[in-house]
Amino acid sequence: MNDKVKRTVVFAAGIVLVAVGVLVSVCVGAKNIALPDVLGAIFSYDEDILEHVLVHDARLPRALCAVFVGGVLALSGAMMQGVLRNPVAEPSIMGVNQGATLMVSIALVAGLAGGALGGFLMALVGAAVSGGLLLLFTLTNSANQSMARILLAGTAMSTFFLALATMVGLLGNRSQELAFWVAGGLRQTGWTQVAVLAVIGGAFSALAFAWSGKVNVLSLGDEFSCGLGIRPVRVKMQVVAMLVPLCGVAVAVAGNIGYIGLFIPHIMRRVIGNDYRVLMPASFVFGAAVLVWADIAARMVMAPYELPVGLFTAIIGVPVFLLLVRGEKH
Amino acid sequence: MRLLSCAGVGARSWLPGVVVVAVFLAAVCVSLMVGSYTMTPGEVVATLMGQGSKLQNFAVLQTRLPRTVLAFLVGTALAFSGGILQGVTRNPLAEPGMIGINAGAALAVVLWISAQTSAYYSQLDLFASVGMPVVAAMGALLSTGLVYGLSHNHGIRPVRFILTGIGVNGGILAIITYFQLAMSKGSYNQVLTWTNGSLWGSSWTYIALVAPLILAVVAIVLAKAPSLDALALGDELACGIGVNVSRQRAAFVVLAALLAAFATAVAGSIAFLGLLGPQIARRLVGPRARVMLPMAAVVSSVILVVADTVARNAFSPIEIPVGVVVAVIGVPYFIYLMIKER
Amino acid sequence: MPCAIELRGVQVAYDDTVVVPDANLSIAAGKVTMLIGPNGCGKSTTLKAIARINPLRKGEVFLHGESVAGMSQRALARKLAVLPQSPAVPEGINVRDLVAYGRFPYRKPLGGLSKEDHEVIDWAMRRTGVEALAERRVDELSGGQRQRVWIALTLAQKADVMLFDEPTTYLDISHQIEVLELLRRLNREEGATVVVVIHELNLAAKYADHIVGMRAGKVAFEGAPCDVFNEANLRALYDIEPEILRDPARGYPVCIDYARVESANPVVCA
Repeated sequence: MNDKVKRTVVFAAGIVLVAVGVLVSVCVGAKNIALPDVLGAIFSYDEDILEHVLVHDARLPRALCAVFVGGVLALSGAMMQGVLRNPVAEPSIMGVNQGATLMVSIALVAGLAGGALGGFLMALVGAAVSGGLLLLFTLTNSANQSMARILLAGTAMSTFFLALATMVGLLGNRSQELAFWVAGGLRQTGWTQVAVLAVIGGAFSALAFAWSGKVNVLSLGDEFSCGLGIRPVRVKMQVVAMLVPLCGVAVAVAGNIGYIGLFIPHIMRRVIGNDYRVLMPASFVFGAAVLVWADIAARMVMAPYELPVGLFTAIIGVPVFLLLVRGEKH
Repeated sequence: MRLLSCAGVGARSWLPGVVVVAVFLAAVCVSLMVGSYTMTPGEVVATLMGQGSKLQNFAVLQTRLPRTVLAFLVGTALAFSGGILQGVTRNPLAEPGMIGINAGAALAVVLWISAQTSAYYSQLDLFASVGMPVVAAMGALLSTGLVYGLSHNHGIRPVRFILTGIGVNGGILAIITYFQLAMSKGSYNQVLTWTNGSLWGSSWTYIALVAPLILAVVAIVLAKAPSLDALALGDELACGIGVNVSRQRAAFVVLAALLAAFATAVAGSIAFLGLLGPQIARRLVGPRARVMLPMAAVVSSVILVVADTVARNAFSPIEIPVGVVVAVIGVPYFIYLMIKER
Repeated sequence: MPCAIELRGVQVAYDDTVVVPDANLSIAAGKVTMLIGPNGCGKSTTLKAIARINPLRKGEVFLHGESVAGMSQRALARKLAVLPQSPAVPEGINVRDLVAYGRFPYRKPLGGLSKEDHEVIDWAMRRTGVEALAERRVDELSGGQRQRVWIALTLAQKADVMLFDEPTTYLDISHQIEVLELLRRLNREEGATVVVVIHELNLAAKYADHIVGMRAGKVAFEGAPCDVFNEANLRALYDIEPEILRDPARGYPVCIDYARVESANPVVCA
């Protein structure tokens, strides 16, 4: 099977998975809704029919959020791995998510989290600060660009921000709520969130795809990149500038969902290779698929209780991460 | 000096050691004085001599002194644990909290606590109390074994060991989160203080329980210290001068896990202490384990006592978990160290 | 000639790749033996297998007739010392403390260094000419000085067999000669058995009593430099066409020029 055909097949498969996932997510739940009713809800909405309301106000926006959040997270992971030249990079162990968490905790306790936009802005600020700090760290000296160093710094910063967030939560007596938020979930998703995700997430994702060629070159190494006409520091900064709203949006809507940004790019790399121009969109598609299905699992596994979806991504993600580290040749 | 040299101890100079011990004593004094019932140094001394009032006795002898002693034990255990791991992995940035040892102990204790019928620490019956260090040790050893086993691929390479530890740490924390979410608010807060470290449950019972264990392991480590130093030469040369590298490495990791387990059993999971102590100590007295580790113990104890005093009093009456304070103080310094490192 | 080290049917593998399929070698006691051969073809691996740094898949290694497999690491370290390539310098350590590591195989359970240990350390530093540097930090020394310190460490082990893995590779010519002169002195004056892995052909020819050529993990030839240093052997080993000068007055052959040739059977080494 030649490359082009392979890629088409893979993309098609991914899109089908996403579409089916969305449909299943809408139909299945504490109250199963039949397909004709779903279609009715979309095309001839009648607010007196319970099923229609359920689909329109709860399930459909939730599924769409899952699509965007999963896509954005996987895309961020792929980009980080390319830019840091480091196969174990991803937003949730880099401290970016935890920075957003800290700001959200402050917002929760201070009562500022009014509406999706307020929460989003706070998360954005948090993600920006922590992302910027990490990048600054890697620039301080060349030894600090090695894999183990960046991971340790990222872990340290996650601990720091999480500690501060815990402190804030304890002082405001909102720790358990905060913990729910932190664990990640798509419980409170409505059309506002979908809009924010589609607009901001969509815009920056498109931008990221446009930058994927540069990421390719960057993954060869800083010195090579210079020789090929790319300014490494500048591109890295630009990438961080894109990562911040992407991660910020995802965290603001869905809390801290880890590991998607880690293992999706890796699996896609095994399937369609290391060309970031293809890898990044493919990661988006399959990240979306995985999160949609993980969300279904989170709702259904212990129905009627809902488990945090971040738990499922960790359950799958951690073993994958460990396998990857084991196979790594240093 | 010559006598100590024969015992394998050789310090560059006495000054840093004296200064640090002095700081430690000062920190201890402050922690004994400050609190919801603040006392003057004179009153503290009088109480220690047995001449205090009932209230003073309670404040100092029953509450603050055991906390301080516990802080010293925990600081020592974690500093030694961190120092060992740094030597074994030849990486100055390794420590038990980051590679899943503390998390494993914490998970075991969380499971143990939620399996008991009573909700609060001080009401745990004797069986449950005695069970805690044991359970914690088992948890820590299990998670260490997991990390060791997973990173073993034709031998252990230090970098892979650390990365695997980070992964396992993440996984265990996710599981702990799951349990926490299912709890009632009161239990949740209690477990939170536990997973973030707290000297809240300190009493003379716990100290009597855990002190001999910690001190015994510390003594073993000090006796084996030259082998730890030898590992710094690299696997090949260490092998050449007669160190059975894989066996010693495994032994030291077990000792580090035990120490972290005992510390976690009584104080919850306090990350970063095992990192800062050895780092600072190394810069003060050099890298030789027999000198560096005891110094690291004192340094970590100072940090812990100070952090505990802050945690207790800064936002009174709410008590912040001491691990949170250590992280807030410790991380910026840690990052600073990494930036300065070549 | 008594045999210091003997390898019989030794097979060594890294992960799943077999680097040395079948090595059979005898190293004579009290002589300077040098291993030469192309990159990645088993010289260092064989050396490390002798020292039990790499485990053996098959075969046995004998030290003075006794099988090495049964010995404890410490017991082995007292009889055989090995200096690997690029060992790690512990941070901030000074010369004396580094050399002191050589006494590790003799250390008592709880004790530090005895009077005898100190004497041996002083002696080792004197023999290698680094006693003036005793209190200096190792990471501040030049390459040649540092190498001598490593050799002092190895010497402090007081083993009568010493293995050196490429001790001259990163040194300039003057330091290379310095190191090899030192090793030869140790052999002549202390009676030590010295085994060296080396790349520089002419230095091997000059300082070795016995040369072993290895290729693809097997011994291609061995013997005294005058006997084995010839066009046929070197062509087979390195795919080069050497021009060799044999001057009986000098006592050892010298390569004065080389040309590359296409290999009859190119060997892909790990």
